[in-house]
Amino acid sequence: MEKTHIVGRFDKDLQKNKDRILAMGARVAAQLKRAGELLEDFDDDAADALIAADRQINGMHKDIHAHAERLIALRQPMALDLRQALSPINIAGELERIGDHAKSATKRARKLHDAQPSEKVLVLIRDMGAVVQEMLHGALEAYQAEDIEMAAHIRMRDLSVDELNRNVMAAALAAIKDDPATAEKNVHLIILARGIERVGDHVVNITRHVHQIVTGEDLKASE
Amino acid sequence: MTQPFITARGANVFYGEKQALFDIDLDIEANKVTALIGPSGCGKSTFLRSINRMNDLIPICRFEGDLRIGGQDVYDPAVDVVALRAQVGMVFQKPNPFPKSIFENVAYGMRIHGMAKSKTEMADRVEWSLKGAGLWAEVADRLQEPGNSLSGGQQQRLCIARAIAVEPKVILMDEPCSALDPIATAVVEELIDGLRKDYTIVIVTHSMQQAARISQRTAFFHLGKLIEVDETKTVFTNPREEQTQNYITGRIG
Repeated sequence: MEKTHIVGRFDKDLQKNKDRILAMGARVAAQLKRAGELLEDFDDDAADALIAADRQINGMHKDIHAHAERLIALRQPMALDLRQALSPINIAGELERIGDHAKSATKRARKLHDAQPSEKVLVLIRDMGAVVQEMLHGALEAYQAEDIEMAAHIRMRDLSVDELNRNVMAAALAAIKDDPATAEKNVHLIILARGIERVGDHVVNITRHVHQIVTGEDLKASE
Repeated sequence: MTQPFITARGANVFYGEKQALFDIDLDIEANKVTALIGPSGCGKSTFLRSINRMNDLIPICRFEGDLRIGGQDVYDPAVDVVALRAQVGMVFQKPNPFPKSIFENVAYGMRIHGMAKSKTEMADRVEWSLKGAGLWAEVADRLQEPGNSLSGGQQQRLCIARAIAVEPKVILMDEPCSALDPIATAVVEELIDGLRKDYTIVIVTHSMQQAARISQRTAFFHLGKLIEVDETKTVFTNPREEQTQNYITGRIG
């Protein structure tokens, strides 16, 4: 929307809340990247730091909630403004859940790092991680630019995440059948992949919020 | 949309050479509150005042087109304008009680239209009207006091009682709360919501929040044209026209 508000302060407040989301998004993306690195090359201190940083992300979530609430109470926005004012609450919720998954993945990496995970499954999980990270960056960009075509494109990418998840399941089950002694570590890998698949879903939800901001249409209700 | 009660087709209004309304087609449903919104000078009050021919009072004002209430052509030369205005009551921006007692304010219209046969009947109808306007409990023991001794909010409800006393079908309201404080506004808004089951209400308001709170349908006017009319929830959440969105969100080019 090129047109600005008569009350200029309103535009600034909306922009500030948007910037807060982008800052939180960058933080969560960094956590996700770090969790992926720890799975490859585990480090106890770095894992502790990642788990501790999740609390800061939760704090950002609360902060965004409070600012969005204040803006709605003071400005009583309508139509597009209302959707722009509400979206930080929804998107921060999705980001907060992604942060939780990064934390859980790190806890699981700690359990796995002595267990020598099977290379085949690990490659699939690495691919999944790469796709969801790329999706998250794209979703944040689509939010910044309010670009619904880009948002739609990212939703399509989630299909490959789901497929990779099914491949992880198949490969891990095959490995367990081959050697039942590997059952424990393969179950960890299945759960880990399931977590990444959920990250993909949260990113998809963010792109749906972007669509709703711009068009007013609720994709979740219509899909 | 159910059968409309008020219909405007190709309605044009001129003040001398200047055209104030352009080809308005608008359906207004019975037993609903329809809000007319838009910037000052957009024609919303002109449209409101053309429904009960209040514009006739302005010599240079001219109406063209078709406007019907319950199928009856409002601008048919045979129409008795006094009877029309009893059917189509009006409440104004500033409460304007007559310089008479509370009782007489409500009784006045009924006397003119010969609506009560006895003093008892008149008293009953005054009570009924004041109850309908949610004012009875506050004035029952002071009916002989002057109408303008009441507070602003009470005066506005007195004007509503005066309007409903003559049993209109339609009530037109031109910014009825703009001179009231937030509490008195809330009381009048609650009253409007209660009245709609018996009357068709058309309200002009500059408060978008008020339109959103009390109306079921909203029409947006701009520069004498009807830009968009739809269910209120649609207009305020996802309007079709960009002009509407810019207005309700307070944006400029």
